[in-house]
Amino acid sequence: MKYPALSSWGVYSVWRRHAKVYQRTWLVNCLPPLSEPILYLVAFGYGLTPLVGTVIYGGQEVSYLRFIAPAMMAVGVLFQSFFEGAYSSFIRLNFQKTWQALLTAPLSFAEVFLGDWLWAATKGMIAGVLTGVVAVIWGLYSGWDLILALPLLFLGSLLFGAMGLLTAGVVRQVDQVNVPIFLIVIPMFTLCGTYFPRTTLPPFLQGIAGILPLASLIDLLRFPLEFPPFWWLNVLWMVTLTALFGGLAVRTIYPKLVR
Amino acid sequence: MIAVAPSHSTSTAVLVAYDLWKLYGDRPVVQGVSFSLYPGEVLGLLGPNGAGKTTTVGMLYGAVAPSRGFVQIGTTTVQDDGRSARARMGIVTQEDNLDPDFSVIENLIHFAHHYRIRGAAARRLAGELLAQVNLQDYANHDIFELSGGLKRRLVLARSQINQPDVVFLDEPTTGLDPDARQEFWKLVTELKQRGCGVLLTTHYMDEAQRLCDRLILLQQGQVIDQGTPIELIDRTVGKDVVEIEGVEESAVQSLANQAQTWIRAFGSGYLLALPPMDSHLLWEHLAALNPTRLTRRRANLEDVFLRLTGSVLS
Repeated sequence: MKYPALSSWGVYSVWRRHAKVYQRTWLVNCLPPLSEPILYLVAFGYGLTPLVGTVIYGGQEVSYLRFIAPAMMAVGVLFQSFFEGAYSSFIRLNFQKTWQALLTAPLSFAEVFLGDWLWAATKGMIAGVLTGVVAVIWGLYSGWDLILALPLLFLGSLLFGAMGLLTAGVVRQVDQVNVPIFLIVIPMFTLCGTYFPRTTLPPFLQGIAGILPLASLIDLLRFPLEFPPFWWLNVLWMVTLTALFGGLAVRTIYPKLVR
Repeated sequence: MIAVAPSHSTSTAVLVAYDLWKLYGDRPVVQGVSFSLYPGEVLGLLGPNGAGKTTTVGMLYGAVAPSRGFVQIGTTTVQDDGRSARARMGIVTQEDNLDPDFSVIENLIHFAHHYRIRGAAARRLAGELLAQVNLQDYANHDIFELSGGLKRRLVLARSQINQPDVVFLDEPTTGLDPDARQEFWKLVTELKQRGCGVLLTTHYMDEAQRLCDRLILLQQGQVIDQGTPIELIDRTVGKDVVEIEGVEESAVQSLANQAQTWIRAFGSGYLLALPPMDSHLLWEHLAALNPTRLTRRRANLEDVFLRLTGSVLS
């Protein structure tokens, strides 16, 4: 890796390979990113609204559906980009040997890695944007706000995709992917202010939940409800973690391919 | 059958390996391997399992970082710019890494994209490559429907997308039935005729003898001998060998000592090199031992290997 050769064509070509696989069964592939967060939105939204009604967020009263809609976008981003990075990349690396095959073509490791990472991020974007569109149609999020949220969704997709790739690089068996899922992904999904404001948690848990990166993404995506006073800190935290996980993922995957 | 070696004096090497070493920790896997590969030449890298063949090939195309030494293809150094180097290479790895998500022809079309060949050009090229390896009837099959031999042929077709100057074939016929091996050999000969430099690793001696113009014998990561198959056989074993069974070890051993020739255990019997002089005398003495089996045959690369490495190839 003395000379990290990189061309946008190479990255695109790798990304395109994954996209073509996805395209072959796009109808089936579109179901989980669409159905999952929408199901949560409908189930918890309809199920809990009669019980909760409204939520106090940022000092104002917000309808429960409007409160959880941005969080469901973030959850879609989290699940889709993490799972693509973790499971799918693990399979491409260890079972299908896709990475190894790509590295017999005139592609560099950097190009294959970035192509995979961007594809994981793309899947997060698909889920986040589709959920966002449903939220817009439902009147829970404005169209302009969704457009403004796109960079945030992309940053989140990169972050969780990098977490997934790091997982793929670290685990030895596919079952071990469950470990970060239960230790990080599920706690984020439940605790980071998705279904309730984190202020209801005891201070200790609140501190932990606030550090987890899904909290930053959700807080940022709720900007139409309340513009986070420390928004730049949230962005910086997400960028830092993205760089950290991305770098660690390179360090774990590279030795598997260039021995 | 021995292939005719091309004349090296008139052509420049298409690939040169300079003093390649690979150590994993303190354990040397490849030690000081150097060689040149010329256009239209099939160079065989032979050795028992674990001799360092695949590690050496890995260093040639960039999948293994050498501990010392480097590889040049034309003016490009593989270790500095693997991507440009691979644009001139075709690589058939030991493991099948075809894309199970795509059909046979899609495997080629989508791989061609990495070489910036797109659209109609990619489809036309994929069709031509399939025809070259006789897979045109399988174009729309799924990968898992292909037999081992057909998969190897598809990997070979994929390695030809860029009309490479150098082709690496890492144990390409391992696990194939005789028919499939023959088919594959034909394709290798075609590559050679087109002027490709082919580097072949194998532990099948018949395959090496049939295909290779020149051989490098590896043992424990070191080159123990090299030359054309005929040179190696003549130099190491001689013209003919005898296989003998059902005799006392001491008797056959003393006959070999008298004739000052090489002998070793071979299966349930022994293998002796027949000396160039007075070979009929040794033959008569051996026959007088009343063996259950006595065969005289031409020496081959397998014998060379047995002599040089002292081990039977697995």
